[in-house]
Amino acid sequence: MVDRMGTWRRRHVLAGVVGATAALAAPSILRAAPSGKPVRVGGTLSLTGFLAQTAQIHKIAAEIMVEEINGRNGFLGRPVEYVLLDDQSKPDVARSLYEKLITVDKVDLIQGPYATAPILAAMGVAQRYGKVIIQSSMGIPKLQTYEMAFPATPFGPNPEQTYPNVILDAMASLPTPPKTIVILTSKFPSAQFMAQGMRTQSEKRGVKVLLYLEYESGNRDFGAIAARVKEANADFLWVGSLGLESNQVLEALRKLDYTPKNHFHLYPAPGPLALSPDGKNALCSTFLEPAEPFMSRPGVARQAAAYKERATKANLPYAIIDAQAAGMISEWQILEAGVNGAKSLDDKAIAAFLKKNTVDTIYGTLRFDGPYNHGNAEQLIKQAQGGQWKVVWPTKYAAPGVKLIGS
Amino acid sequence: MNANALPRLAAVLGIAVFAILPTAGVPAFYESFFYIVFFWVSLSTSWALLSGFAGYFSLGHAAFFGVGMYTTATLTTQFQVPFLATVPAAAAIAALLGIGIGAVVFRLKRLRGELFALLTLAVTFVIATIILNTPIDGGAGVFMSAVPMPDIMPTQTGTIYVLGFAMCVLTLAIAWKVAHSRLGMGLYAIHDDEDVAEAKGVPTFRYKMAAFALSAGIAGAVGGIHAMYVGFLTVGGTFELTVPLYVVLMSVLGGSRHWLGPMIGATVITTLLYAFISGGEAMIGRAIVGLILIVAILWLPDGVVPAVQQWLRRRKAAEVEPVAVVVPVVPAAARPVGDRNILEVRSVTKRFGGLQALDGVDLDVREGEILGLVGPNGSGKTTLINVISGHFPLTGGTIAVDGVEIGRLPAHEVAGRGVARTYQIPRPFVNMTVLDNVALAATFGGPTRPAAEIRDEALHWIAFTGLAGKEDSLPAELNLHERKFLELARALAARPKLLLLDEVLSGLNPAEVDNAIRLVRAIRAQGATIVFVEHLMRAVVELSDRIAVLNEGKLFALGAPREVMRDPRVISIYLGKAYAA
Amino acid sequence: MPSATLLGQALISGVLAGGMYGLLALGLSLSWGLLRLVNLSHFALAFLAAYLTYELGTTYHVEPWWSAMLIVPAMFAIGVAQHWLFDKFKVNELASLLITFSFAVVLEVAIQLYWTADYRRFETHYSTLSIKAGPFYIPVLELVLCLVAGVLAWGTWLWLRRTYVGKALRASAEDADIAAAYGIDHKKLAYLLSGIGAGYAGVAGTFIALIATLAPAQIWAWLGVVFAVVIIGRLGNPLGALFAGMLIGASESLAMAVLSPAWAPVVSFSVLIAILLWDPDWL
Repeated sequence: MVDRMGTWRRRHVLAGVVGATAALAAPSILRAAPSGKPVRVGGTLSLTGFLAQTAQIHKIAAEIMVEEINGRNGFLGRPVEYVLLDDQSKPDVARSLYEKLITVDKVDLIQGPYATAPILAAMGVAQRYGKVIIQSSMGIPKLQTYEMAFPATPFGPNPEQTYPNVILDAMASLPTPPKTIVILTSKFPSAQFMAQGMRTQSEKRGVKVLLYLEYESGNRDFGAIAARVKEANADFLWVGSLGLESNQVLEALRKLDYTPKNHFHLYPAPGPLALSPDGKNALCSTFLEPAEPFMSRPGVARQAAAYKERATKANLPYAIIDAQAAGMISEWQILEAGVNGAKSLDDKAIAAFLKKNTVDTIYGTLRFDGPYNHGNAEQLIKQAQGGQWKVVWPTKYAAPGVKLIGS
Repeated sequence: MNANALPRLAAVLGIAVFAILPTAGVPAFYESFFYIVFFWVSLSTSWALLSGFAGYFSLGHAAFFGVGMYTTATLTTQFQVPFLATVPAAAAIAALLGIGIGAVVFRLKRLRGELFALLTLAVTFVIATIILNTPIDGGAGVFMSAVPMPDIMPTQTGTIYVLGFAMCVLTLAIAWKVAHSRLGMGLYAIHDDEDVAEAKGVPTFRYKMAAFALSAGIAGAVGGIHAMYVGFLTVGGTFELTVPLYVVLMSVLGGSRHWLGPMIGATVITTLLYAFISGGEAMIGRAIVGLILIVAILWLPDGVVPAVQQWLRRRKAAEVEPVAVVVPVVPAAARPVGDRNILEVRSVTKRFGGLQALDGVDLDVREGEILGLVGPNGSGKTTLINVISGHFPLTGGTIAVDGVEIGRLPAHEVAGRGVARTYQIPRPFVNMTVLDNVALAATFGGPTRPAAEIRDEALHWIAFTGLAGKEDSLPAELNLHERKFLELARALAARPKLLLLDEVLSGLNPAEVDNAIRLVRAIRAQGATIVFVEHLMRAVVELSDRIAVLNEGKLFALGAPREVMRDPRVISIYLGKAYAA
Repeated sequence: MPSATLLGQALISGVLAGGMYGLLALGLSLSWGLLRLVNLSHFALAFLAAYLTYELGTTYHVEPWWSAMLIVPAMFAIGVAQHWLFDKFKVNELASLLITFSFAVVLEVAIQLYWTADYRRFETHYSTLSIKAGPFYIPVLELVLCLVAGVLAWGTWLWLRRTYVGKALRASAEDADIAAAYGIDHKKLAYLLSGIGAGYAGVAGTFIALIATLAPAQIWAWLGVVFAVVIIGRLGNPLGALFAGMLIGASESLAMAVLSPAWAPVVSFSVLIAILLWDPDWL
C-alpha cells in the first residue's frame, strides 16, 4: 500500500516538475533542458503536527529551487525530482522515512528535514548509509557530529559564543549602552543553548544579569513572568523565544503598562512581531532580509519574488522571504554546487568537494572546513522599523540609511 | 490435529519468519516500519494489562514509557552503562513508579474511573517537568549518537528490529499468560465489579499492584529500547499527550479486554498512519485516518476481537441449540444443628460519620444452623452482613469465624476463611459468562485445585441451581430469577462454611420463591451454615431454626421463629409496620 | 523574596488567566458530567470558532462580539449534530473519548488546510488594555472573559439547580429512568445540553482569538490542564469548573512568580494530585 501511494505521488510531482520545467525552459532557448532519468532527491518535512508552521515555507522554497535547477542544467544534465515525505513532526517517523527513501525508494541524494530532533534522526540514517545530508535549521552546531553533514545556514561552529557578542557589540554602539540585562528563554534546546551563552558573555563583558528565567516551551500565560521582568526593569530584555512567544511576552508587559527599553528576540515568527505595535524597535536574529545588500546577490531578487508569489497563493500570512525560506534555498544551492563540483552523484565525492571548496549561496559565500563542518558565523541582527524588518547590525549589512535605534 | 494446534503452529511459524527477517536482506525501512509496529503493539498491550483487563483507565502511559526512555538515555550517556543493561533498569524504574503510584492510589477506593485517569495524567506532567528542569534533561535534550549499539544483527536497524520484536513477543506472551491465569481472572472480575471480586476472595489490591507493575515495567522497557531508536530525546517529544491517546485508541479498537486485541488495533492504526506519508497527501491522509477511526469505533465500540468472538459465538449457537438441562432440586432432610459456634459476633459497632449503624451487636450462629435476620428498614441487617464479609471495616468489637478472629481482615481473606455472601440486587460480573462467574468464585473461594476440577465444580453448582444450559450466557441474558440463582451458585462454588444471603427472595414470584426455599434447604443439607436477611415472613418462619431481630443497630430479640414472632415487642417495632406496608 | 506587588500582580493575572481554563472546562464538564460523554473535540471546536472569529475580523472587519452571534449558534448546531451521532450509535463514555479525539484530528486537518499551519494573530486595539488599581494592573480582556465565564457558569448552575428541567437533567445523569418519572423527555434535553456545551466552546473560541495564538496544533495545548480543571471542579458543576480553573491559574502564576517559571506545571499538578488524595468534601 505504501508503495502504491509512493508511485501515485511520484507521478503527480513529476508531472508538476516537468510542466514547470518546460515553462521555465521555454524562454531560455540557448540552454539545453535537462533530460533522461530524473535524479531523485529525497527528504522529509513536518507537514503535519506541531512543527508544521515552518514546513510550508520550506516546501515552497524547495519547489522554487527544484524549478530553478531544472531551468539550468538539472543535476549533471538530468532533471531533478524532490521526493518529499511527511515526518509528522516526530523524529522516530523521520528516521523510518529516511530509511524508506534510501533503502526502498532508492533516491540518489537526500536533503535534510527541519528542526533539531528530526535532523538528528535523519543524520543517523545518513551516516549509516554514507549519504551527504545538508540541513539549515540546527541551532546547536556541536550536535552535528557526522563528517558528511553540512550546514546551509552560517551559524558558525560556536554561535553560543559568537552571536551573543554580536548582540552585545550592537548594544555597546548605542549612545547609552545597557548596563543590565534580563534573559528570558524558552526551554527549547536551541533557544536555551543560546540563552546560556548570552548569560555567560554578558557577565564576561560586565553587563549585569538581573534575572535569568527559563519557561516551558508552549507556556500559555506570561502574566507572572512579565511582572518579574517589569520589576527587574533592566536596560535590555533578551528573549529566547520561538513562534509567538515574543508577542505573548510583549503583550503581557503592555498589560502591566511596561515597555522594555531595548528588547531582542531569538527565533520569533517574523510576521506577527513586525506587525504588532508591541514589536516596535524589536531586535531579532536573522541571516538575510529581502533588501540591500542581500538583493544584489545573484538570483536573490528572483527567488524573493517567486517566494512572495507562491506564499501568497498558498495563503501564508507572511509572504516575505526571510531566513527560514532562505535556509532551504541555501540547502539546494549547496547540493547543486556539490554535484556540479564533484561532477558526480556520489556522496563521498560531493562531500570531499564541499569540504575543500566554497559555495556561493543566498547567504553569501559559505565554507565547510571548520569544526562540525561550519564556516564563518554570519548571524545578524534585524530590527522592526515601521512594521518592517531591517537588518541593522553588523553595519556593513545594513541597507543605506538604516540605523540601529536604541532607547 | 486438535483445535489448538493450528493457532499454535501459526504462532510458531510467525515468530520464526519475523525473527529471521533481518537476515533475509529486506530493505532497512521494512525493519524500521515493523519495529514501529512492534513498539506500538508492546505499548498498547502493556496499557491493556491494567486499563483493559482491570478497567483502571490510565491516561498516563507516557509517564512510564518516558521514564524508561530517560533511564536508558541517562545511564548510557552519563554513566556509560552498556545499552542492553539499561533496558531491565528502565523496566525496573518504571515498574517502581507504577508500584509507588498504586500503593497510594489503590488504597483510596474512590480513585477509580476518571479520577484515576486524571491522576495518571497529572503524574505524567509532574514527571515531565521534573525531567525538564533537572540534569536528567535540563531542556537541552539528550543526544545518544555516541552510545554503542550491540552487534546482535549485522546492521543497526536489524538489531533494533530484533530487540523490538523480542520485546513484542515477550509482551504478548505475558499478556497471554496473564489472561489465562488466576491473575487475569481476578483482573477481569475487578474490571466488572471490584467490591464483589474482593468478596469472592480476589486479593484486589495485590492484583492491581501486580498489573500496574507489569504494565508500567513493560512500558519502561519499551521506552528504553525506543530511546536508542529515536537517538535524540526531548521532553516535549517524549511526554506528548497524543502518545497515551493513540495507545488507548489502539487498544480499544482491537479490544482491550483481550490479550490479542491491542496487537490488532496497533497494527491497523500504525499501518494507516504510514499509508499517508508522502508530501502531497499527508494532510488529507491524516483526516482520512481520523474518519476511519470514527467509523470503526462507532461500529465496533468494544473492539475487533470481541466482535469476532461474538460472531463466532453466534454462529456456534446457531449450529448447536443448547439443551436446557434442568436438574431438579432434591429436597434433603435437614442435618441436626451442632453445638459449636461457627460465627461469634461480639459487641460489634459500625459508625458511618454521625450515623450509628450497628451499636454493640452480640450474636452466635451454630454450625449447620439457618439463622433468619429480620428487622425494619435501616435496622442494620445489611450492614451486619457487610461487616461480617469484610466489606466494611469494623468500628469496634470482634467477629470470629470457626474461632478465628476475622473482624479486621480484608474481604478477600474473610472469603478465604469460608465466608460467602450474595447481594440483594444481583451483582454478577457482567462481561463474564455464567460459567466464568461461578468458576471465579470456585477459584478464589475454595481450596486450590486444577483448572479442570474447578470447571467441573462450577458446572456442578450451575446445575444444582438449575442454570444448566446457560453456562455460556452473559448475565444480561438471564432474568432476575436466574440472576439470583447465579448469585447462589457463585456463593456455593466457594464451598463456604458460612453463607450470608441478602434477600434472595425479594422480587421473585410465588413459584420462584418456593423453588428458592427448596434450594436453600438443599444448600444447608450440603453442610453449610446460613445467615439470611429476609423480609418475606413466610420464608423466614419456614426456613429458620432461629430468628434474630435487629432494631436501630441493636440485637432486639433472638429465639425460635414462632416464639419471636409472638413477642409483642417485636410485633410493635417490626411486624406491625411490615404488615401495614 | 518577591515583593508584595509582584505576588499580587501574579495572583491577579493567574486568576484571570484561569478564567480561560474555566470557560473551556464549562462545556466539557456539562457533557461529561450530565451525559457521560467526554468530548475531546471541544478544544477543536473552540479553535474552529477562534479561527472563524479571526477570519471574520481580519477579512471582513467584523467585531468579534458580532461574529460570536453567528459562531455560537453554529457551534450549537455542531454540538447537536454530534449528539445525534452519539445517540444513534449509543456511544459510551470511553468510545466518546476516542471518537471525539479522532474528530478533533479531522478538524485540525481541516483548519490547517484552510488557514495553513502558520501562526495567526488577531490584532485588536483593545487586546492589551488594562485598568490600574493601586499598584496593580487588571487586563481588561481577561476581566471581561472572567465576567462572561462567571455569568455563564452561574446561569447554568442556577438552571441546573433551580429549574424543573435542570433538576431532571441532573437526575437523569444518575439514572435515566428517574428522568422519565419526571415526565420529561431526557433525550431531547440531552440534545439541548450538547448544543449548549458546544456553544460554550464557541464563546471560548471568541476569547481565544483575542487572547491566544492560533495554530492548528495548539488545539492540544489546553487539553491536560482543562481536563484537570473539569475534574477538580466536579463533573457537571459549572461553578466548580470556573473556580477550579481560577485555582489552577493562580497556582501556576504564583509558582512562576516565586520559582523558575519552568517549574510551574509541577506546582499546579501537585496541587491537583494533593486535592485528589486529600478528598475534601467539595470534590
